Amino acid sequence: MEGMTFIVKTITRLLIGAIFLFAIYITFYGHLTPGGGFAGGIMVACGFILLTLAFGKKMSLGKLSDFWASLLDNLGAFTFWSIGMLGYIAGYYFMNFIEKSNPFGLFSAGTILASNIAICIKVGSSIFAVFMALTIFGRFISDLIAAEDED
Amino acid sequence: MLIYFLNSILFVLGLYCLIAKKHLVKKIIGMTIMEYAINLFIILLGYKKNGIPPILLENMDVNTFVQQSVDPLPQALVLTSIVIGLSTLAMMVAISLRLYEKYKTFDMSEIRRLHG
Repeated sequence: MEGMTFIVKTITRLLIGAIFLFAIYITFYGHLTPGGGFAGGIMVACGFILLTLAFGKKMSLGKLSDFWASLLDNLGAFTFWSIGMLGYIAGYYFMNFIEKSNPFGLFSAGTILASNIAICIKVGSSIFAVFMALTIFGRFISDLIAAEDED
Repeated sequence: MLIYFLNSILFVLGLYCLIAKKHLVKKIIGMTIMEYAINLFIILLGYKKNGIPPILLENMDVNTFVQQSVDPLPQALVLTSIVIGLSTLAMMVAISLRLYEKYKTFDMSEIRRLHG
């Protein structure tokens, strides 16, 4: 899969940093504003899909290969479970044991911030892996394209 | 009551697409329209007249916030439902791609026997 025209490449180069920064902002302030981990993860995956469409699959696979996408997926789920198991220190399962102070601040909700970050990593890598599996790594799609080229 | 009636019209439109069309991708689109209608129905159950969004701002009284805000619990449940809809959509698209490889067509009336 090759990239697109010169205009698309230039605009992508200018905008891709802002897309990832906005995704991190939505994730980190998930306990104050609407959004949270899932919405930020979807934005990260959409940023990687834009990179794939504009520059080709070699560039985006160089940034986040399939091995790393699968590894980050499992690491995010394991972190989320371990945050729940750490709640046994102070009481029950998934207890918010960090003290909640400084209302409307960044560190004011305890373990919700760590849960949001874990969900963002997991969802971003997982949706990008699904996109890769359906479009680039699909054996049938490459066979069909090869069969069309023979005619 | 009118808004629930309009929502059920959206659901019936999706059901019509799922049943009456022959192309496989159009059936998938009909199923996603049905999921949108169901998510919208769950969110509409928590609406309050002249309601404010369920976000507590800096200098707002807690009592007025409780009395005036829209119910946030259905919104949290619908978030899970949207994620489930996304996974089933990925599964449906993968199965339809596999069907195209085996039968060389998307037309449901020609996919009759099980191919090896």
